[in-house]
Amino acid sequence: MKGFPLRAEDVGRRELDNGAVVLAIEYPKLSLLKVHLMVKRGAERDPQGQEGLADLTAEGITLGTEGRGSEEITLAVERLGAKLSASSRWDASFLTLAGLMEDAPRLLEILADITLHPTFPREEIREALKRKISRLLQLRDEPEVVADEIINGIVMEGTPYAHPTYGTLRSLKALPLEAPSRFWGENYLPQETVLLLIGSRPKEELLSLGEEALGEWEGQSSSSADLPHPRLPGSRRVLLVDRPDLTQSQIRVGLVGIERRDERYLPFLIMNYIFGGGGFSSRLMMRVRASKGYTYGIRSTFQALRTPGPFLISTFSPTATTPQALEEILRVMEEMAKEGVTEKELEEAKNYWRGSFPLQLETPAQVARRVLELELYGLPFEDLSLFPERVAGVRKEEVDELAAEFIRADRAQIVILGKAEEMEPSLRGLGKVEVRSFREVIDVPQ
Amino acid sequence: MLQEILGFSRHHLENGLKVLILQDHTLPILSYQVHFAVGSRHERPGITGISHLFEHMMFRGSKRLGPEEFSRIIQANGGNLNAFTTLDHTTYFENLPADKLELAVSLEAERLSNLLLTEENLETEREVVRSERKMRVVNSPFGLLIEKLYALAYERHPYRWPIIGWDQDIRRLTISDCKEYYRRGYAPNNAVVVVVGDVREEEVLKLISKYYGHLPSQPPPEDTPLEEPPQRGEKRAVFKKVAQLEAFFAGFHVPGITHEDVYPLLALAHILSEGKSSRFWRRFVKGGEAVEVKVKVDPLPFWPKDPALLIVYGIASPGTDLEGLEERVWEEIERVKDQGVTEEEATKAKKGLRSSFISGLETAFFRGLLGGIYEIKTGGFERAHGILEGFDGITPEEIRRVARTYLREENRTVVVLRPVSPEENEVLGPVE
Repeated sequence: MKGFPLRAEDVGRRELDNGAVVLAIEYPKLSLLKVHLMVKRGAERDPQGQEGLADLTAEGITLGTEGRGSEEITLAVERLGAKLSASSRWDASFLTLAGLMEDAPRLLEILADITLHPTFPREEIREALKRKISRLLQLRDEPEVVADEIINGIVMEGTPYAHPTYGTLRSLKALPLEAPSRFWGENYLPQETVLLLIGSRPKEELLSLGEEALGEWEGQSSSSADLPHPRLPGSRRVLLVDRPDLTQSQIRVGLVGIERRDERYLPFLIMNYIFGGGGFSSRLMMRVRASKGYTYGIRSTFQALRTPGPFLISTFSPTATTPQALEEILRVMEEMAKEGVTEKELEEAKNYWRGSFPLQLETPAQVARRVLELELYGLPFEDLSLFPERVAGVRKEEVDELAAEFIRADRAQIVILGKAEEMEPSLRGLGKVEVRSFREVIDVPQ
Repeated sequence: MLQEILGFSRHHLENGLKVLILQDHTLPILSYQVHFAVGSRHERPGITGISHLFEHMMFRGSKRLGPEEFSRIIQANGGNLNAFTTLDHTTYFENLPADKLELAVSLEAERLSNLLLTEENLETEREVVRSERKMRVVNSPFGLLIEKLYALAYERHPYRWPIIGWDQDIRRLTISDCKEYYRRGYAPNNAVVVVVGDVREEEVLKLISKYYGHLPSQPPPEDTPLEEPPQRGEKRAVFKKVAQLEAFFAGFHVPGITHEDVYPLLALAHILSEGKSSRFWRRFVKGGEAVEVKVKVDPLPFWPKDPALLIVYGIASPGTDLEGLEERVWEEIERVKDQGVTEEEATKAKKGLRSSFISGLETAFFRGLLGGIYEIKTGGFERAHGILEGFDGITPEEIRRVARTYLREENRTVVVLRPVSPEENEVLGPVE
């Protein structure tokens, strides 16, 4: 059995006349085919008041074409033991079709049909909306999801990234049934599309399969959107959202991070690993969980988008220890911003990212994610080959500067979801506290 | 095909430690796993949750290592790691660059020989686990419901308590409980070490003998759980909590992993609720009557060792009457029992099961799990070689037969979620 490519030259790339890009990678180990279609337009394109439209459109294209009804599409896919999924995230929409290599011609014919000839039947869209509304209502019972929505809305306020990609109850209820068709017409354009095939055939052969699938698509002109950057408020605030039935609070500390094309991306990755991204190698985990036992889990994450995205600390703690957990988080933030990282921490973080590189590219799904991310943000595939070397070159000063610039305890936007009455007095010392009822913050039916 | 892809070699140390090795030189990586034949089935009321709490203690340090230093060292060497506790076993693993074999062997052997079990560590980890329980169970939409379902469906067998344990038991576990558990459960003769990846067999065996050879074997923990008698009538319960939507969770007793009916049951679950061409999706979810109606069974190799529960659940959309939804779900099941499934449905299920299983084989980690878990639960990894044949042998007749055998009303336990307001919730008392 032959291994997986790790180098830029293993990714085949062909630009079609209509502007679409086909990428191909040979994965000889198992006779599988995974096809990823990426349209470089995501939920940030949702018109105001129609949040969730990009995501509905992604699902919508699988619900009917000129030649096939939704059941026919489903059956055609599932009869092959294949899986079809579609969704919209930030900056792009994705359609994924995974099946067996032997079924390649049929799988690609289905993919081309739904991408190029969707009809968005009204009844299907009506049902899809109903499903999304019920699902969203059920998500109101998941405290983690609700806390994520609230903090994202605060940190990204004033940008097209401030709403949940799946929409809100209000926006979904108001969405016109013809909206997905219009969104598709304006945004699903060949010059915005990338088709990646990973399968057990030589990459040239895969490229030709891809070209055949998208070749006849006709392009039209497109416009680029102006994306304002998020601005972190000047002072620390605590929003305490009351859920008296919760025995454990959800805690979010929100900051703004960097954009994906920022040259400091790798130092940021390393800084975040040491801060809260590196599990038990991170300061947040060691302090808040391992030495204090305030929580089962804590981490920091950052989303690097076309613009700077959220840089968040997420955790949870029983009601009684929530204020102490938050105090400890703020202390870790202040120390890290002021003192930077140690040589040992830096060395270990670099070793992790360098050493784990082959493990991060073991499966087709991992490879697809990495390659599509580079293509989405216009970064060269050389980044694949050069990653370990570049990680090794990250300097302590770069990491320290990032910590000082981005880990701003003084401007942290804090959200706590839990028993407000019990926690409010102890939280007062940590910033301006605003208490709101769940219904004031989250759109739920009475 | 699986004889090759899962062609482990098996070795024994004198102290009873079993070693499975699978060489794969595709990528310069390895997966190192230690599976112990201890899980929540080996617990008893009063110490429920000890298997899982103990799993946490394994990261809290040893003679040579400080708390959580194990994790830090693995990551600093480019690895990832974790552990999980199930009904039947506890598994520790690290995936690493291939040149870190000795590191993995020495660290795992260190915590097996010299674990530090202190009161202080236990107190910290106790609080961490209580927070974990709140996250996974108490504050999750359906966690308490599922606990209730197992507690009601099983009357004797240890599967009736949750893997994470009851909160009261977690609060009163002692350091001497942990020491006793460590001595018996974590003996070499109760473990299987699995190594998959870019390694050489002689090298692996040399290192494992060097680091594990000195460990003495122990009388293994007792493993004769009470058998669950056949259920002879439906059991029902209501659970009230703050929620947006009504739901029901139903469990049917089905056999354990080594039984041949596992394959048609997996296919039945697939036909009823996997994907958008499934019967439940088309009848209940597509038109918006329910948010979700699903059949939940554990895929291979995670299907339990002893008779398990096949769970059917439905979450009603706003405006849908839950009782009606539940009735219509049973109607759909009756339809399978009366009329069977089509040849096409069976073929689709077989192909679907086959292709998700094959996708799993992409990682060295999953191949290791297959070997280790089959070895622990079924007595030999060789049984995993038959999985694809098991899928191939599924027929519409077999699917209908298992539906008739197991999805009977007498064999069913149902727990219903009734949403209440926060005010009513207060009156009902605390949850833990």
